[in-house]
Amino acid sequence: MENNTKKYWKGLEELHQSPEFVKNSKNEFAEELPIEELLSESKVNNPTPRRDFLKALGFGMSAVALAACNEAPVKRAIPYLIKPEEITPGIANYYTSNYNGLGVLVKTREGRPIKIEGNPNDPIAKGGTDAVAQASVLDLYDSSRIKNPMMKGADATWENVDKFVKEALATATNVRIVSNTIMSPSTKLVIADFAVKYPSTKHITFDASSYSGMINANNNSFGKAVIPSYNFDKADVIVSFGADFLGTWISPVEYTKQYVQNRNNKSLEAKKMSRHVQFETILSLTGTNADSRYTHKPSQQGLAVLALYNAIASKTGAAAVAGVSVPFEKIINETANELLNAKGKSLVVCGSNDVSVQVAVNAINSLLGNYGTTIDLDNASYQKQGNDAEMIDFVAEMNAGKIDAVIFYNTNPAYNYAKGAEFAEALKKVKTKVSFADRADETALLCDVIAPSTHYLESWDDVSAKRGVYSVVQPTISPVYNARAAQSSLLVWADATLDYFTYIRNNWEKNVYPQASGFAGFSAFWDAALQTGVVTTTAITPQAYSFNNNLSAVAQTIIAASKNAGKIEVVVYESVGVRDGAHANNPWLLEMPDPVSKVTWDNYAAINPKFAEELGIKENTKVDVTVGTAKLSLPVLMQPGQAMGTIGVAMGYGRTNVGKAGNGVGVNAFPFVTLVNGTFQYFNTNATVTATSEAYELAQTQTHHTYEGRDIIREKSLKEYAHPEKHEGHAEGEGHSKENVDLWAAYPRNGHHHWGMAVDLNSCTGCGACVVACSAENNVPVVGRDEVRRRREMHWIRIDRYYTYESAEGKDITQEKEYNNVENYENVKVIHQPLMCQHCDHAPCETVCPVLATMHSSEGLNQMAYNRCVGTRYCANNCPYKVRRFNWFNYWNDDRFVNFLQDDAAYLALNPDVTTRSRGVMEKCSFCAQRIQAGKLSAKIEKRALKDGDVQSACQQGCPANAIVFGDVNDPESEVSKLIKSDRTYFLLEEINVQPGVGYMTKVRNTIEA
Amino acid sequence: MSSHHESIIREPLITGTDITYNKITEDVCAPVERMPSKAWWIGFTVAVLGLVLWLVAVGYTFWTGIGAWGLNKTVGWAWDITNFVWWVGIGHAGTLISAILLLFRQSWRNSINRSAEAMTIFAVICAASFIVAHMGRPWVAYWPLPLPNQFGSLWVNFNSPLVWDVFAISTYFSVSLVFWYTGLLPDIATIRDRATGLRRRIYSILSFGWNGSAKTWQRFEAVSLILAGVSTPLVLSVHTIVSMDFATSIVPGWHTTIFPPYFVAGAIFSGFAMVQTLLLIARKVLNFENYITMAHIESMNKIIILTGSIVGVAYGTEFFIAWYSGVQYEQYAFINRATGPYWWAYWSMITCNVISPQLFWFKKIRTSIVASWVLSIFVNIGMWFERFVIIVTSLHRDYLPSSWAMFYPTWVDVAIFIGSLGLFFTLFLLFLRVLPAIAMAEVKLLLKGNSEMSKRKLIADGHAKVPEGFTNRIVIATTATIKNDKKDE
Repeated sequence: MENNTKKYWKGLEELHQSPEFVKNSKNEFAEELPIEELLSESKVNNPTPRRDFLKALGFGMSAVALAACNEAPVKRAIPYLIKPEEITPGIANYYTSNYNGLGVLVKTREGRPIKIEGNPNDPIAKGGTDAVAQASVLDLYDSSRIKNPMMKGADATWENVDKFVKEALATATNVRIVSNTIMSPSTKLVIADFAVKYPSTKHITFDASSYSGMINANNNSFGKAVIPSYNFDKADVIVSFGADFLGTWISPVEYTKQYVQNRNNKSLEAKKMSRHVQFETILSLTGTNADSRYTHKPSQQGLAVLALYNAIASKTGAAAVAGVSVPFEKIINETANELLNAKGKSLVVCGSNDVSVQVAVNAINSLLGNYGTTIDLDNASYQKQGNDAEMIDFVAEMNAGKIDAVIFYNTNPAYNYAKGAEFAEALKKVKTKVSFADRADETALLCDVIAPSTHYLESWDDVSAKRGVYSVVQPTISPVYNARAAQSSLLVWADATLDYFTYIRNNWEKNVYPQASGFAGFSAFWDAALQTGVVTTTAITPQAYSFNNNLSAVAQTIIAASKNAGKIEVVVYESVGVRDGAHANNPWLLEMPDPVSKVTWDNYAAINPKFAEELGIKENTKVDVTVGTAKLSLPVLMQPGQAMGTIGVAMGYGRTNVGKAGNGVGVNAFPFVTLVNGTFQYFNTNATVTATSEAYELAQTQTHHTYEGRDIIREKSLKEYAHPEKHEGHAEGEGHSKENVDLWAAYPRNGHHHWGMAVDLNSCTGCGACVVACSAENNVPVVGRDEVRRRREMHWIRIDRYYTYESAEGKDITQEKEYNNVENYENVKVIHQPLMCQHCDHAPCETVCPVLATMHSSEGLNQMAYNRCVGTRYCANNCPYKVRRFNWFNYWNDDRFVNFLQDDAAYLALNPDVTTRSRGVMEKCSFCAQRIQAGKLSAKIEKRALKDGDVQSACQQGCPANAIVFGDVNDPESEVSKLIKSDRTYFLLEEINVQPGVGYMTKVRNTIEA
Repeated sequence: MSSHHESIIREPLITGTDITYNKITEDVCAPVERMPSKAWWIGFTVAVLGLVLWLVAVGYTFWTGIGAWGLNKTVGWAWDITNFVWWVGIGHAGTLISAILLLFRQSWRNSINRSAEAMTIFAVICAASFIVAHMGRPWVAYWPLPLPNQFGSLWVNFNSPLVWDVFAISTYFSVSLVFWYTGLLPDIATIRDRATGLRRRIYSILSFGWNGSAKTWQRFEAVSLILAGVSTPLVLSVHTIVSMDFATSIVPGWHTTIFPPYFVAGAIFSGFAMVQTLLLIARKVLNFENYITMAHIESMNKIIILTGSIVGVAYGTEFFIAWYSGVQYEQYAFINRATGPYWWAYWSMITCNVISPQLFWFKKIRTSIVASWVLSIFVNIGMWFERFVIIVTSLHRDYLPSSWAMFYPTWVDVAIFIGSLGLFFTLFLLFLRVLPAIAMAEVKLLLKGNSEMSKRKLIADGHAKVPEGFTNRIVIATTATIKNDKKDE
């Protein structure tokens, strides 16, 4: 192409290239701009000439116009210039991980973990979760975590921290690492390596809720210092002495999964059900599920165990123990017979931390031949490893000034050690104190250095909760704050060159991989571990062990201890939500109603109403409970089913330095824990209780505790259920064939899905995992104590808990006005009934909404259009189930609720698929509409029909007992449609013809009488 | 309307012996034309303070949310709807007096209909304020109206009683307003004719060019009758529909077919009580004793005793039906009303609504101004409790005992209620200042036939003779009124 050399000129000056032009052409403006002149004093002060005014006007107008044309400031709305391969906005990714021994799947959206779900591959939890695991994701974003490492109370850099710690350790002669139970084999190896570098290092394991007594007992009896694996699924008769194995004891999710195997619908259809007898002091979650339940003072527990031993021994020809007598001999004998009838298929467990009592329990299980069947000592559990004696020695050593340096990992003894104040004093004598706490907690505040460790969702780790079961914990997000995994810190301080991830891999390659078989090389093994979340190595066949020691010495200790029975005894127990207090800043857990008392945001002195009457204690007041020098002022809770002469107090509350939500919630009960014979005892026989006039109202989500004889709860004894012909009363499900008279046209059901749910009242233990799972999935706001007191909690699913009593004549008392006839408030039966929106086909809420904000979908869902809701609350009034929740305030944007969810970062845990609701609109359970949609979409993409199980509601998924089954009722093959047709199924309030979509399955109790 | 002579044994509707057309005009116009009295200023100040309280409390609610009230997940309505129904009920007397009594040719209504109608309008305004205030999102309060909108084919739910309510209340309000204003036209014209300057111009506009011609009067009469015909079904329909907010629901204690007649009777009951409360004071302060006479007071007391008894029977019927139905939930709801945690509200209601109006069987009580006023207050209180009992005690314990809860009002609940009284009295006192509180034109119709003077004249002229046994009664009835008034001063 020909070059275009033709030139155009603007004027003669350019053509001639006059010197003046050349000079001016270098400037931006060819002519000088009269800026100076314009800004000169005379110009500025003179009246503006008309032309200047017009110029300014014109400039102003165009400037404004230009400014208006400018786009709004771009917030980084398109996050990825180069999209990471695995992240697609709007599509969730799931990573396997492990939380405290529970295999979990972490749901992440756009790189943020937002939901914890059970990992079905996990052989221990089998996909179940508990409330604590569900809530753990919120701790990740907790703004009460410290943002940087700290030294002497000020922010520091990691370099300075490392320098300081290394210098201190270099000269230290006695180093201690104090931690709670560590289930991670690699972490243990890191500590071992650290000990190689600093040979004076000793690792002390301290659990606030200790199982030391059991470990020692197993060591004494069988030479194995472990916690065994229990097989509740193999037990036909279960006897528990104060072990809350469905709520808090060792591994409640695992045990719940096993326990319901013999009590769920499948088992009942085979007319089979295990029998569960509970002896206990407080009314525990496990106690509420027992078929028979008896109460005693905590000091009498050992005696009860011995009595059972004697009863069994007398029938098996073993040597009995002398000097044992209990008031409930008859019951013990009956129980002994039942156990013997199920020899080898029975299980006796005990919640005591007393070595002697646990030895006696071992003797019983040995007589019953349970070792090798229901108890597995070979595939031991690593879930609890605390050693009380070591901890007590450690405190003594500190007191003696022998310790130079101490490192705290996942433990907070200044708060949860029995003598926290003494511990704090002793700690002062230690030169260098380092804490890995993620926040400036009670212990970390006393330390020189806080080297914040990462949350489990931010870092690599591994877990082996049991022999032969290994999981990887993988990071799902970069550390939210400037934290570093404790293991990395230890490696740095030990001058190791490896990062922790490589360290874990090496460890697995060396120690785990060789035990596994069937993998093509370590990489395949590692990938499998990451993909499935768990790998198992060859299992050992459990051996039968027999107890051959002499029980008499042990018996003497127990009998001697039982003589100390006091007038008022105090029990310190773990609550299902807050447990030992490590997660006491988690608003989901604080607002989760206690499964039994339905109290939120507090612990309390639980006391039998009859006993309270004797002591002159009134409801809604505080009492002073004194044990030795510890005096706590606690609100009173009238707790039916609690043993007379006892007070129950939950541990884990009363944190002072845990964070915005948890500080000052409740009272710290650890000072009531005592040291007896080298183990921590969670009861005290010598307490005094003084009534005070201080008024205090607990925030309870349920304040009426009986079902008033209404046909909303259906329960039967196993005999009635198995042989209905012999018993009177209506057969379940007879209402199904009833002809319904309808005012409205029925919704067409042709070809569509029709979503429904079946809730098995016999499987549901009432643990509350579904409540937290639902809150996490559906962005349910946390409203705080005051709002709960006003009865405004927002939970979309709640678990109703009703008590029934038995009168002296053996009649069930279910009505409040008959309370006075109750002789014995200890003998209480409990039922849990999860309640969510029933998605009625004739929904009373739908007809009354003036603006059609709630209406029926073609798939049987009762839907809410939040945007359309004007907030008349008519729907909630007309809902017979009272499952609708109103946004009384703008819970997400009102600074009065700032402590709970409106945390700086907590909104990152929101599920982006579910909108948050503003003030003034109604909300309620949607049957996880977003999950239904997601399930349908993925089925559509895969060009297939939706299968049963593709869509799981959050409550169903979180439930460790599989008590909730959700699905398509129109699909005859779906699990839910089969359950709905079960003869146990009834519909709540079906007589008012709202045609609910949730079926409840009759509770069956395996009682001896009837 | 009727200027024919009336039997002398009927009690005169205008007392006094010096009443002329001019005197009626002077008497009725006086409060509008003179400077406000001290009593008015005191009343107005208190009322405005109440109004300010209302503004603060409603403003606070709008700013923070309904959570400022004592409601909870179980009790979704309490004082808000109690107050709403209470005010709507009060608003009933006006239309009943102006429409139904007009159709039944009850000429004693002529002197009380104006203020009763004004009261209706202000009460409905108060009621409407609670409809808006109780909404979670009051800024979209227009959504329950079937307006064309940009949301596509989004319409209101014609199944919902709340939508019926919107229609009922808005219709009732507009018809009442038109009826009231139509009736005002000749009186406004009277004021216009007597006024000068700016006032004259304002009243001139307000009088819509009333010229007092025969044609105008004829049209006025026709329109009044038509409006009365239109309003009459409304008297029954409004509270019927309000009652359906409850009756069509499935809440035990709400779900009853007796509600429509029972609510209408209750509304008339409370409406008349409120008219008594207001007029007994107004007649005194505004010197209307000759126009609002003991005969009026007694008539209204008779209506109160009738409707109060209907309401009492309804209470009993509810209990009977609850027992007879055999429905456990229904039975519990009613036992709970009488003996549950809100027993005191229930028995306050029974005392005020059923027992205390029975005192009106005694002529002495029903013709005593003090007793009438005190009992009218009782009825007002009782009817408030009736709505509270129906709403709160039914809701707080319904089907599932797990959700049973108590309702405790907050300061905002109380302030909005007291404030709504402030709003009402502010409007009412302003009404007394600017518009004639008695329908002059209509009262003048009675002068020739129904007044004490005309009856005396009939006797004096020998057109009528006092029958045996009536001598004392007629004389005593009129003079006793005057005497009684004197005693009260």
